[in-house]
This record gives sequence, structure tokens and C-alpha cells, in this order.
Amino acid sequence: MSEEAQARVVLAARDLRKRYGTIEAVRGVSLEIHEGETYGLLGPNGAGKTTTISMICGLLARDGGEVHLDGAPIDVGAVAAKAGIGYVPQELAIYPDLTAKENLVFFGRLYGLAGARLKTRIGEVLALIGLTERANDRTDTYSGGMQRRLNIGIGLLHQPRLLLLDEPTVGVDPQSRNAILESIAKLGKQGMAILYTTHYMEEAERLCDRVGIIDAGEIRAEGTQRELVAMVGEQDTVRLTVTGDVPGAAADVAKVRGVVRADAKDNTIEILVADARQVLPRLIDAAEVRADVKGVDVVEPDLEAVFLHLTGRALRDAAE
Amino acid sequence: MRTALLITAKDLRQRLRDRSIIVFAVIAPLGLAVIFSMLLRGATSFHADYVVVDLDGGSLATTFTEQVLGGLKDSGVATIETRATEADARQAVEVANAEGWKADAAFVIPIGFSEAIAAGQPTSIAILGAKDAGLGTEIARSVAARFADGVASVQLAVLTVGDLRGTPPAGADMAAIVAAAQQPAIALVDTGADLRQLSWATFFSSAMAVLFLFFAVQSGMLSLFEERRQGTLARMLAGPIRPGTILAGKAFGSFVTGVASLVVLIVATTVLLGADWGPPPGVALIVVSAVISAIGITTLVTSFMKTADGAGAANSAVAMTLGILGGTFSPTAQAPEAMQALSLVTPHAWFLRGLAEMQGGGTIADALPAVGVLLATGLVTGAIGFARARRLVAPR
Repeated sequence: MSEEAQARVVLAARDLRKRYGTIEAVRGVSLEIHEGETYGLLGPNGAGKTTTISMICGLLARDGGEVHLDGAPIDVGAVAAKAGIGYVPQELAIYPDLTAKENLVFFGRLYGLAGARLKTRIGEVLALIGLTERANDRTDTYSGGMQRRLNIGIGLLHQPRLLLLDEPTVGVDPQSRNAILESIAKLGKQGMAILYTTHYMEEAERLCDRVGIIDAGEIRAEGTQRELVAMVGEQDTVRLTVTGDVPGAAADVAKVRGVVRADAKDNTIEILVADARQVLPRLIDAAEVRADVKGVDVVEPDLEAVFLHLTGRALRDAAE
Repeated sequence: MRTALLITAKDLRQRLRDRSIIVFAVIAPLGLAVIFSMLLRGATSFHADYVVVDLDGGSLATTFTEQVLGGLKDSGVATIETRATEADARQAVEVANAEGWKADAAFVIPIGFSEAIAAGQPTSIAILGAKDAGLGTEIARSVAARFADGVASVQLAVLTVGDLRGTPPAGADMAAIVAAAQQPAIALVDTGADLRQLSWATFFSSAMAVLFLFFAVQSGMLSLFEERRQGTLARMLAGPIRPGTILAGKAFGSFVTGVASLVVLIVATTVLLGADWGPPPGVALIVVSAVISAIGITTLVTSFMKTADGAGAANSAVAMTLGILGGTFSPTAQAPEAMQALSLVTPHAWFLRGLAEMQGGGTIADALPAVGVLLATGLVTGAIGFARARRLVAPR
């Protein structure tokens, strides 16, 4: 990202708060997204990602905080400023009894597109999401992946300043998922500011320039992948597959010098350790006091490790 | 406004694809109007086939066959054929002839009929009824009974005159008196063209149209629930659009659906059933005000509900209740006074009344009270309904 783009803040959200009864779903979330930047909000289900994105696009009244798009305030009463936002909800939001083209025409006109410009954009979007050949078919005849792609296509039809993507690949087959991620990567390169929520670490790593790790309604850390991994230091993640007294073995492993934390989950022990290669034999010895070690997996530092480091839980476990 | 019309156009396209709206808005009301009209058309154009056996041959028997039964024949109510014997008459009502003709009933005038009446003695006319012609037989019995009543009063008068003058009338004089007694004292004049009431075909066409109008227009507000379920409502609200614009688009879609439904029904029933809806400008006023009324009421009902199923059921229940109260299945004029008064709380009754007021020389001005009531109902219920319905589209 160039310095010029760095300087142009498209989205500025500050101290967003939302409470549902006694549950504080979002607790002071702040983030900024610059022109051409893809920002990932990474966290498990229930972390507050959808609530945050709903407040940003004015779908949900917030209890506190403020949102600005290119300097213009956004809230539930905003109308004109919302034209700069493209929203792709987590669940499909398309008309099943209309064709892809009719869906695009309707939402395109809703955002003020018309005439040749609308026609051109529909053609471009259909090509981008790979639905040109099926443009005149009703969407209830589409596969789930095709419907997902159209769901995204509608959001970016009017070339918004900010594209909000709320877990767009949930429930999508690997092939369609790959196509979706490629499309989003292209959009980022074209200069669109993108807020992408996901609980898939690999998606955040692949797409996002910066990532905010969100858990229990709070952003626990934020930065580039390199910056986040640096927070964990030189720590590695070791996964031991064991049988026997798994919690007991985890407790024994936690006592080994150099181990930051060790968590038991089903038949695995997830260990955050300073230098895996040097400590590995002692980890196995400690684990085999109360259990049999069946497998060993050493993982280089990644966002999963960062999440584990920050929350004490593995991201994939927290997402369940 | 442009955005509201955009939503309207999209909704109408969806409704045309979802053919259920065509069933509710056109096919069902048209089908029922045709069925009811055909059923009632049979009931109002009664015709009977009678035979008469005059075993008496006297002047009073001739009075009955020529003046009473002849009157039925002349007015087209009945076909009258004569038979020589009672056995022939019985066969005529029991067995169809070679042409398939069979009498509904037979009048058998016994020997000595005229003499008995002239002498003030009791006598009778036998009615032989066909097994499958209950109504024809009942009417034959009524005709004979009315003649007998006339004869009885004449006999009483003759006896009284005889007592006073000593010479009661007899023969031709007596027959003339009996014939005169058959003439009604008060004649009813058919003023059909001047009556402000709907023909059966028009009544059922308009009644079914307004009944199903309430089903047709409810789809607009109900689609809000569908939009919410499929996420498209949230998608619209995330865009540059006010919640009120979405409601306006839905309401205008209902309006177009309602007006289109009534226009199609008016044209179809006029062509197919010969319905006479009245002067087009007045009908247009009634139609527009009825559609507004229906949208207002269905919006109000929908605004109290939380799901599409609940709203659909509640609107259907309200539509049927108002329809029955409003006399869409049978004219309220045939109902007790209390029910007639109660019917006036329904738009259905005012819709039918407005159309009826323009019949028989009525003008648009005669329909204005009904138009006013319909508009007031629609605007009041609609204002409350739309205010409440904003919660269905408001961000949370």
C-alpha cells in the first residue's frame, strides 16, 4: 500500500458498543481502513464480527461510538452516505425467483445506477463472479456456490468506496471458495477498501493487509500478519496427539521449561513453546508419564498461534 | 419516489411469476362469481310444465283453466297442456313422453265442480305432483289454494247477498263474480329498471371481487416478512434508502395489484356474465377507494403480527369475517335489521352499496357517501397500520 493510500482513510469506526440485554456484544471496537486496504476481522462465531459490521453499515443502531465513511457520519438514519458502502451479508440476500441479471438490475438501480453504466457494470460483475452464462436463469436453480458469488457481486456492483464482507465463504465448496477469494483479492488491488470478517485463519492470511483479532466483543490485537506473529515472538505451536489421561498429560507438559501454555482438547494437547525443536523430546517425555503419544505436529507461528496466545483458546475450537 | 416505484416494479414482477396471486386476484373471484350467478340465474327464472283435466266443463271450471292457468301461461311462468282423463294426467306427471316432456304437476277438476261452488257446497281441485318437481308442485298447490280462497270469499258474499235479496246470483253471473275475485285488489308494478339494486350477476361479480381484493392486496405487506427472511430487506436497508420508501413501494405494489385485479374482474364479468357495474367514472371511484380501504385494513392487521404465516392467517380471517358480515355471500337486504346495521362497519357493504346506488338511474353523486366511507376507512386504518409497520423495516 502506498503512503498516499495510507493517508486516505475510507472507514473510521471509533469505540463501537452494542448491548443485547445483559450481554455486551461489542465493547469499544475501533478500526480504520484505508483506500485499497483489505482489513480482516478474525474471530470465532459470537465474537461480535457481524454486530460490528451491522453497526458500520447502519443496519444496527449502536449504543455508543461513531462511524465515518470518507469523513461523512454513518448511522441508521443516513441515506446518501450509505451509497458508498457495499454490503455482503453472511446469509444469502438475493431474490430466488429472479434471475441473476434481474437481481443485479434491481440492486444496481437502488444504488442509482442506470442506462449504459448499469449495463456495463452488470456485464463486468457477471464476468468477475463467473455467472455470465447463467445470467438469465432464476437464482433458485443455482448451486450454493453460484448463489454465494452472486451475493458478493450485488455488493460490489456499484463500485462502493467500502465493501463489507461478512463471512462470505461460509458453507461454500472449496472450488467456489477459491474463486470468491480470488475475486476479492482483485477488488483490493483495484483500490477498494474492504472489511472482511472470517473465522478462517487461512482466509485472513491470504487476503488481508491488516487483521484485527476479535474475541468477546473486543479487538484483542491489530496489525499486519507479520506484526501479529511478532507478538507471539519466536514461539511455535506443537500439537501432540495422545491417548490416556489427556488433561493430566497437558498439566505435566505445562511444567516443562520453555512452555508458555498447554491446553488439552479431546485427544490433542496444543502447546505454545519458545523453541519447539529444542524442547520437543522433553515435551514427549512429560506427556508419556500419563498418556501415550501417537503423533507430533510442529507448526510455525501463524494467526492461529496469535489467537491462542491472546485468548488461551485455539481459533478453530472457539469457532465451534 | 423513484426508489419506491423500483420496489413496486420488482414486487409486481415477482407476483406475476408467483401465480398464486393470479389465482387469488382473478381466477378464484371470477370462478365463484360465475358459479353463483349460474346457480341463482336458475332460481330466478322459474318455469313449470302443468297439465289440466277438466272433468266438469262448467263455467267456473273454465274460469280456472282459462283465466287462472291461462294467466300463468301468458306470463311465461308455465306451460299448460290439457288431458282428457285423470289417468292421462297421472301418466303425464309420472312418465316422460317420446319427446322427453314430463309435467311437474297436474290439476284435476272433478265433475260437478261448478255446480258445487254455485250451490255453496264444498268441492276440490286435485293436484298430482311429480316426485322430482317439488317446487313446481308447491306452486301448483298455491295457485289452486288462491283460487279456492277467492271462491270461498265469493260464496260468503253470495250467501250474504242472497239472504238480503232472496235471489243469489247463479250461472254466468256467478262465473263473472268468481273471475273478478281472482283479480288482485292491489297490482304490483314491475319497476325493475328504476330499482337501485344489483342484478344477481352484478351482485356476485362485485361481491366476489371485493372479497378477494382483501387477499390480493395483502401480499404487498406480507412480502416484508419474506424479504426479511431471505435477507434482502437488510440488504436494501444497508443501501441509500429510507425505511418509509420500502413501505411506500410495498403499498403502491398492493394498490396496483388491487386495481388491476378489479379492472380485470369488471371487464371479464361484464363480457362473460353480462354484469352491469354502472357508469365507468363512478365505478373507478369506488374501485380506487375500495383498494385504499383494503390496503389500510390489511396493513393494520399485518402490523400486529410477527411472522408471515401469522399475518397471512390473520388477514384471511379478517377478510372472510368482513366479507360475510358485509354481505358478499348473500345480500344484506335479506338479513335481519341488526345484521344490516352491522354490515355497515365493513368496506364490503359500502362497496356493494356504492355500486347499487349507481344502478337504475343513479349517478356518481349517489355513490359519493360510499366512496367517502371507504376512503376514510382506508386512510385511518392505513395511517395507524403504516405507523406501526415501520417497526418491520426499522433498523434494530
